[in-house]
Amino acid sequence: MHLLLVGVSHRTAPVEVRERVDFQARGVAEALGVLASRGSTREAVVLSTCNRAELYVACDDVQPTRDDLVGFVGDFHGLAHADLAPHVYDVSDLDAARHLFRVAAGLDSLVVGEPQILGQVKEAHSVATEAHTVGPVLNRLFHSSFAVGKRVRTETGLGSGAVSVSYAAVALARKIFGDLTGRNVLVVGAGEMGKLTALHMKSQGVHHMTIISRTMAHAARTAEAIGGASAAPWDELDASLGASDIVITATGASAPILTKAHIEGVMRRRRSRPLFIIDIALPRDVESAAGEIEQVFLYNIDDLQATVRENLARRASEMVRAEAIVAEEIDKFGAWFRSRGAIPTVVALRQRFEAIRQAELERLDFKLSALPPEARTRVDEITHLIVEKLLLTPTEQLKAVGDADTVGAYTEALTRLFGLPEEGDAERTDTVEPFNPERRNRPRSR
Amino acid sequence: MNVAPLALYTAAMAAYAWHFAQRNPAVGRAATTMLVAGALAHTFVIGMLTMEIGQVPMAGATSAISTFVWLLALAYLYTEMTTDERAMGVFILPLLVLLQAIPAIRPIETRAAVLQGPLFGIHVSSLLFAYASFALACVIGITYVLLFKEIKAKHLGFFYARLPSLQVLDRMNQRAIVIGWIFLTLGLIVGFIFAAQARGGYGSGDPRVQAMSLMDPKIFVALVCWVVYSFELFGARRIGWGGRRTAYLSLLGFVIVLLNFVPISYFFSKSHNF
Repeated sequence: MHLLLVGVSHRTAPVEVRERVDFQARGVAEALGVLASRGSTREAVVLSTCNRAELYVACDDVQPTRDDLVGFVGDFHGLAHADLAPHVYDVSDLDAARHLFRVAAGLDSLVVGEPQILGQVKEAHSVATEAHTVGPVLNRLFHSSFAVGKRVRTETGLGSGAVSVSYAAVALARKIFGDLTGRNVLVVGAGEMGKLTALHMKSQGVHHMTIISRTMAHAARTAEAIGGASAAPWDELDASLGASDIVITATGASAPILTKAHIEGVMRRRRSRPLFIIDIALPRDVESAAGEIEQVFLYNIDDLQATVRENLARRASEMVRAEAIVAEEIDKFGAWFRSRGAIPTVVALRQRFEAIRQAELERLDFKLSALPPEARTRVDEITHLIVEKLLLTPTEQLKAVGDADTVGAYTEALTRLFGLPEEGDAERTDTVEPFNPERRNRPRSR
Repeated sequence: MNVAPLALYTAAMAAYAWHFAQRNPAVGRAATTMLVAGALAHTFVIGMLTMEIGQVPMAGATSAISTFVWLLALAYLYTEMTTDERAMGVFILPLLVLLQAIPAIRPIETRAAVLQGPLFGIHVSSLLFAYASFALACVIGITYVLLFKEIKAKHLGFFYARLPSLQVLDRMNQRAIVIGWIFLTLGLIVGFIFAAQARGGYGSGDPRVQAMSLMDPKIFVALVCWVVYSFELFGARRIGWGGRRTAYLSLLGFVIVLLNFVPISYFFSKSHNF
C-alpha cells in the first residue's frame, strides 16, 4: 500500500486556479463519494482551504492513481486538464506524510505558523471519517499530523506574535491590560482605519466604546456602523480620555491633536491607571514625546508594523525547531508505515499455508468421507489450528520490524523459502479489490 | 540534613531556567515536580528537627532561614498552581537555592532558653510568612519591570512572549504585599508584647532581652520595612505611583528584608541574635 498526495496550493497555483478547485463549494463529503466510486483509491481524505486543495489517499499503484486523481479533480470541477496539470504537485509515501505534517504545523501556510490550518486538517479528517473513506493508514497518518501540529504549537514559537497590524494592537492591549472585557476604548476620528481597528477591539469584548470626531454627525455614523458604541462631541475629548484605557487616534488632522502636556494633564487625573494609545493616523495625531510619560504606552503605525516584522522574523527562526519536530514524527510514522510493508508477505504466507491445508484435506477426502460428520469438522478445526499456531510467531515478528532493510530481508527470505509469489504478483493476484462502497466499513487487512 | 532539599532546589532551578528559555511543557512539569520533591524533602527535614527540639526550628538565624525557604517554596508552589503561571519560577528558585545554602553548611543553633511560649512562635512564624510574601512580591515586581520596559521600548521580545500581562502582574504583586503587610504588622506587634513580657519575666536574666530597643539594628530595620510597605500599600497609588514605581518599591522592600535577614542577623544585631 502506498500513500499519495495530489494537490494544488498557494505555492503552485494562482488564486484563479485555487478558487476553481475549492472543494468546499460543492461539499467535501460529496467529493469523497465521487472519488470513492472511481475505485482507484483504498482510503481518501480531502483537505480544502482557501489556500490549498489536497487529496491524501492510500492506494496500491502510485502512477495510475496519480493520473486518476488529477482526472478526478478536473472532472469534479469541470476544469480542462491543460489548465490544471501545470499547477498540480504530487508526492508519495513518507514524502506525502512529511507534506501533511508540515501543513498541520503551519509550515506550509502563506503566513507561516497561522493557527487555523490545524483545525482545518482535523475537520478534513472528520468529514472523511463520516464518509467512511478513512482506513487504518490515513487514520494513523492524520492522527500523527495532529500530534505534530500540537507539538509545534506548544514547543516552538512558530505561531506566536501577531502578524497583522490590527491584531498586533489587540495583542499589545492584552499584554498591558490582560482581559479586555471591562475596558473602555476611545476612538478619535471617524475614518475608515479607526473603524477597522475599533471593530477588532470590539471583537475582544471591550466594555464600552466611544467615538469622538470634530463633526458629531460623523462620529454618530461611525458609532452606529460599529454597533454598541456611543458618539461624543469634540469638547468632551478630555473627559473621555480620562475614562478610557485604550485610545485609538485616526484623524486626518495635519498637526498632532494630543500633545505631551495635554496627556500629562489627563494622566494626573487618572492617578496611575495605564493608558494605551494607538496612533494609526498619518501624519501622527499624538506627539511622540507623550510616550515618555510614565504609564503611557504609545504605539504609532510604524511601531506596530515593526513588531509585525519582528514577529515574522521570529517565526522564521522558529521554523528550524518546527522542522526538527516534523522530522522526529516522520521517523515514528515511518517505522509504522514500513512495518506495513511486510503485510503482503504475511498474507501470501497465510494463503500458502491455507492452500496446502486445503489440498491435503482434498487429497484425503476419500479416507475422511468414511468418518462421521462431527469427526470431519474436528479434523478441519484441528488442521486450521495447527496452521494458525505455526504462523503466529513469524507473523508477530514480521509486524514488529521497524526498518525497511530488515523488512526487505525477511520478506525476501520468506518468499524464497516458501516459494511465495513475488511481491508484485502477490499484490495483483488477490489483494487488489475495486473500491466497493458496500465493504468500505470493514477494516481492510492484507 | 538541609543538603537534600538544596540539591533538589538546585535541580529545579536548572529545570525552570530551561523551561523559561525553551518553553517545553514537559520540562515545565518536570521543574514543578522537582520543586515539589524539594519542598517535601524540606518538610521532612523540618519535621525531624521539630521532633528533635520539640518546636518548629525557627529560633536562631540559620533555622529561621531554612524555615523561610520552606515557606517561600510552598507559597510559590501555591501561586503557580492557582495561576497556572510558571514564568516566575526562574526568578524564585535562585533565591531559594542561595538562601538554602546557608542552613546546608551551617549547623542549626540550639534554642536559647528565653525563646519560648506561644507569643514567640507567632512572632517568628508571622514574620517569616510576611518575608516569603514579600519575596514573591519582589519577584513579581522584577518581572513587571522587565515586561514594562519591553513594551515601553517597543521591543516585544523575550519577556513579552513569556510573562502574563502587566495588569495580572500588578494584581499579583498587590495581593502579595497585602498578605505580607498583615503578617509583618502582626509579627511586629506580637514581638513588642513578647519582649515586654520577657523583660519583666523569664527573660530578666538574659542581657540580650534587657538590651532590646528600637535602636537595635534588626528591630530598627524591620520598622523601616514596615514603613516602606505601608507606603506602597496605602500611599503610593494615591500619589500616582502605580505600576512600575510600586514594583520598584517591592524590590526595595525585599532588599531591606534580605539585609535584615542575613547579614544583620549574623553580624550586627547585639540584642536580637539568638
